[in-house]
Amino acid sequence: MSNRTVSRVLQAPAVILLLIWMIVPLSMTLFFSFIRYVLSSLNRPEWTTPSISNWRGFGNYEFVLNSKDFVFAIQNSLLIVGSILFLTVTFGVLIAVLINKAFPGRGIVRVLLISPFFVMPAVNAVLWINMILDPVLGLQGLAVDGLNGLIAGMKDLPVIGWFFSQWPTLEPISFRATQTSAYAVIVMVTWQWTPFAVLIFMTSLQSEDQQQKEAAILDGAGAWSQFRFLTLPHLGRPIAIVVMIQAIFHLSLYAEIEIVSRGNGNKNLPYLIGEFANNNIGAASATGIFAVILANIIAIFLLRMVGKTLMD
Amino acid sequence: MGRIVLENVTKNFGDTQVIPPLNLTIEDGEFAVFVGPSGCGKSTLLRLIAGLEDTTSGKILIDGEDVTQVSPSKRGLAMVFQTYALYPHMTVRKNIAFPMRMAGVDEAEQEKRIEAAARALNLTDYLDRKPGQLSGGQRQRVAIGRAIVRDPTAFLFDEPLSNLDAALRVGMRIEISEMHSRLETTMIYVTHDQVEAMTMADKIVVLRAGNIEQVGSPLDLYRNPQNLFVAGFIGSPKMNFIEGAEAGKHNAHTVGIRPEHIDVVADKGAWTGKVGVAEHLGSDTFFHVHETGLAETLTVRAPGEVTLGHGDTIHLNPRAGVIHRFDDRGQRLS
Repeated sequence: MSNRTVSRVLQAPAVILLLIWMIVPLSMTLFFSFIRYVLSSLNRPEWTTPSISNWRGFGNYEFVLNSKDFVFAIQNSLLIVGSILFLTVTFGVLIAVLINKAFPGRGIVRVLLISPFFVMPAVNAVLWINMILDPVLGLQGLAVDGLNGLIAGMKDLPVIGWFFSQWPTLEPISFRATQTSAYAVIVMVTWQWTPFAVLIFMTSLQSEDQQQKEAAILDGAGAWSQFRFLTLPHLGRPIAIVVMIQAIFHLSLYAEIEIVSRGNGNKNLPYLIGEFANNNIGAASATGIFAVILANIIAIFLLRMVGKTLMD
Repeated sequence: MGRIVLENVTKNFGDTQVIPPLNLTIEDGEFAVFVGPSGCGKSTLLRLIAGLEDTTSGKILIDGEDVTQVSPSKRGLAMVFQTYALYPHMTVRKNIAFPMRMAGVDEAEQEKRIEAAARALNLTDYLDRKPGQLSGGQRQRVAIGRAIVRDPTAFLFDEPLSNLDAALRVGMRIEISEMHSRLETTMIYVTHDQVEAMTMADKIVVLRAGNIEQVGSPLDLYRNPQNLFVAGFIGSPKMNFIEGAEAGKHNAHTVGIRPEHIDVVADKGAWTGKVGVAEHLGSDTFFHVHETGLAETLTVRAPGEVTLGHGDTIHLNPRAGVIHRFDDRGQRLS
């Protein structure tokens, strides 16, 4: 046997296992997406068992495409993932640069910064929506109340009182409402995942060449130029990695959406699948296939981006 | 113009004083080399001049102007680092353009200066490559190009050739020397290699533990080393030091004689010994001679090919008039 054959034979078990791992669920999903398959039906009990005789063709796909939430769910998925990526990378870079300088207590600050990452997603969502964002009992409610009280107190002051009397009373925002629940999810996931970005960027910053910085200082580069022309390009690769990993994770957000508003006004594709899967497995499978397609489109973009930075 | 004066400059890191009060003048257009063993403070001194380190006390003057508190970029100095410190994600062209871009030089002028620097440094074909695609010597030339385009008052070199292989080092040494005679700009060059110091410098500053041991031209240091340290540091192979009775004959505590000032004779030499290691270079032969009764090892240079080998008896004659005498504190006796 030639070397190549040997290596292929030796690789085969792993490759075959991975193929089965991938192909079995995918083909089952594909199969279910082309048949009528529900969990319970009084009128049509034959639909409750998956069978080729219940063939529906592209009917499930049509049903999903025409359902009122589908386009919204895709837009919302992209909004949530895009916003979280933008915010975590921005905050991650800023915080990592900030704590890269030596200062007393840096070790403790770093541990504290990483800690949100160890909170479970469901716990994170419950904490945020009940204790921080709640318009009455949460920190938000207290803060708005406090501000209103402060402004009310200022109205009685001589000379400048008239200025504050022009101010409206602030209203707390309900983050469980249809229009705002997506923002609540973005805020809480950003809080949880910024530490991940910080961690990766921080390790990368440690490997930044100090002599390059000194050369840049002598070349007349100020703090901003050093950041723009040295630090940011140096972080290109870790940023690409953070974006890729987070995109994969956040496309499948579920717990936060469920806890904040039970999908009310805020659905993404996984949540839509979950809703269909309450009964209609066929439609859920068809949505799943759409999710696979969306994930692949995004993955191709991301791989290109990461590949490009890795080439440099 | 580029006259650099250090007045009572000191530098402390915490409680340790790495540079005790130090005075030094480097004249305009001079090629000054700071040389010394590692840890002697030569790089720190260069970084003080560059402004990358703050002086603890004392003054640094460039062209008569006190720049001690002036930021590094405003001192008008350009520095070439040991690790080249090129910006890895920028092309050679952008690397060289960077200081001009920071200074807001207009595009046409930038392009002109880049072309000129690239031509002078043989980089024209590599302008659109990234530093990662260049060899060590080419990278060092890019770093020099980045320094040249700024038209600085002085160039600072921090062990620029240490990362290059021996053959390339010789070539780059000549290139830098030629660049100095062409530009006639002040250059300060830090190295631990006394050969670089001897071949390139107008003025050598020998440092030990932050102290200036001696300042002078290469041949001045070679002929009149002020103390044992300079005597041992300058010259290759190292000067032989002889103590005891032989030194007593010259009314000194220690006498030093360079390997090239000892002649190998057929017989009846003043000294005899056994050859240990013989290094045959063709042009010269170096003998490490033992059992002379003078010092543990005497190094001797014989010009040309001498067919003596390990264990052979060798007869030596020191030349008169080139023996260096030192007192018990290691200072030169005149």
